[in-house]
Amino acid sequence: MRRFRSLVRSATLEALAEPLSAVLFLVALIAVPLLPAFHCHQFGEAGRLPRECGFSALLVFGIVFATASAVRVIGGELSSGTAAAALARDVSRLLFFCAKVIGVLVAFALFSVAVGLSTVASVATAEMGEVQERLGYAHVWLPGLVSMVVLTLAGFALAAVLNRFFRMRFCVTACLSVSGVQAIALALVAAGSKVPMQWSLLPALAALAAGCGVFVVLAGALAVRLPPAAVTTGIALAALSSFVWPVRAMLPDIQMFWLVDSYSYGGAPAVGQLASAFAVGALLSAFWLAVGSILLERREIP
Amino acid sequence: MSSVPAIEIKGLRKTFRDFWLRPVAEAVRGIDLTVERGDVFGLLGPNGSGKSTTIKLLLGLLAPSAGTVRLFGLPPRTRAARSRLGYLPELSYLHPFLTARETLHYYAGLSGMGGKTAKARCTELLEQVGLAAVANRAVGGFSKGMARRVALAAALVAKPELLILDEPTSGLDPIGTRDVKDLIRSLARDGVTVLMTSHLLGDTEDVCTKIAILSKGQVAAFGRTDELLTRKQDARFTIAGLDEEQAKAFAAEASAKFGREVLFDHPRVPLEEFFAETVGEGR
Repeated sequence: MRRFRSLVRSATLEALAEPLSAVLFLVALIAVPLLPAFHCHQFGEAGRLPRECGFSALLVFGIVFATASAVRVIGGELSSGTAAAALARDVSRLLFFCAKVIGVLVAFALFSVAVGLSTVASVATAEMGEVQERLGYAHVWLPGLVSMVVLTLAGFALAAVLNRFFRMRFCVTACLSVSGVQAIALALVAAGSKVPMQWSLLPALAALAAGCGVFVVLAGALAVRLPPAAVTTGIALAALSSFVWPVRAMLPDIQMFWLVDSYSYGGAPAVGQLASAFAVGALLSAFWLAVGSILLERREIP
Repeated sequence: MSSVPAIEIKGLRKTFRDFWLRPVAEAVRGIDLTVERGDVFGLLGPNGSGKSTTIKLLLGLLAPSAGTVRLFGLPPRTRAARSRLGYLPELSYLHPFLTARETLHYYAGLSGMGGKTAKARCTELLEQVGLAAVANRAVGGFSKGMARRVALAAALVAKPELLILDEPTSGLDPIGTRDVKDLIRSLARDGVTVLMTSHLLGDTEDVCTKIAILSKGQVAAFGRTDELLTRKQDARFTIAGLDEEQAKAFAAEASAKFGREVLFDHPRVPLEEFFAETVGEGR
């Protein structure tokens, strides 16, 4: 268990320590509250645009984060020699691969939670804006919007201060602090908002995260044998052709995980839809975990 | 002590193949070697002679094309075999975002150590390799020599019975090189078996009790270092307090007595010793 914990921890740190991760956290967590503020159409619902914006941010930035992190942590370790140094010890290849994938999934879960909290706060901000608009004020609820953006930037600034005075790893601290402040921002929005918070969005966000999580395992499995550029291209092609048989059987069909449309006009996804999304996510993850483990078992490590 | 050797290699061959399985290079061509427990064994050879490939076959990172490898009588990919060895790669492969202390904790964790035992062992090793003062700095900012010390400490963290060192003194200054050689001697005294490769033949000669020289993937020479390097047909004397004139007279007398040419020179201090004396132990 100690071996597993050490590998998971190092993989999570490695995924968060990369500057690209901090950039993706910042861009996603600024985009989710800010984009709806510039909207010119509500599509008949105040919360629809921020809701879809949050899901889109999780899907697009999430797949980029998942792929880049998995390729770096698994492919990078195999090519740089740190994997050889670990596998020369009392560590099985199965344990190594599974632990590294889970480490990246932990980092991805942090990203998903942060985007999820930000989406719930953003939807509340937009719905409060509609209330204000009816009363003759601007269509954006400024206190909510400002608290979300300012707190996210403050999280980044806190990471810089901790790095300057305590030598803490900037990118890791930035990812953690901007995620942490989302909870504070959500609490402030919830306290000030006069509309009910849409907590029911969280299961659908989790289902989408489960779909994106498959890409972590898929990218990790491919990175065992292929160079980073080939994995990235492969993932892009896979995402584009995920509706075609037989690719559909091995890759997450994003439509199955995209449950945001169910929330239109006060609706919610059925329990069966959520359950099947999680089940398919888990099955595909297990499939690619097995593929990656077999590939690593058979691979020579030069 | 068990009679099973620490390393036993029989008929080992390794052919690298390309994507289409066509042979690209035959790196190892039938090696037979035995390293007994407690030996400090030097694996020497020019670039491309198969040293690193042999080490990776020993570690189970590569699969042999033919032949067998046994560590303590066990196949190298078994956990029981690998739990008894420590490995220092040719390049110090470290995670740049971890500090020196975290790196050692990571490798201690991979060896199943945890809690206070791991903490105490890491502190002890950081002292031993002279990095206690920079233990909390990220290794990505370390010099090559400092990174080498961290990697060496990582290889030692689990108190291995067999230590495989690929170019252990690469990147180290003369003081660091001497410290590593002293460490290897000290480990050997404690019964640890050491297999090392080095391009610096002087280092190998200083510490290895046995050597094997590889050439083109085969063993070209193998045996005890003393036996291979000593020319028993010649003799050399060192007489303290003899000046140039006395030495010449002694040489002439000896030459007349044995009817052979007698050469003499004055002993030299090894440069490593002179350097250490000059800089006052460095660190």
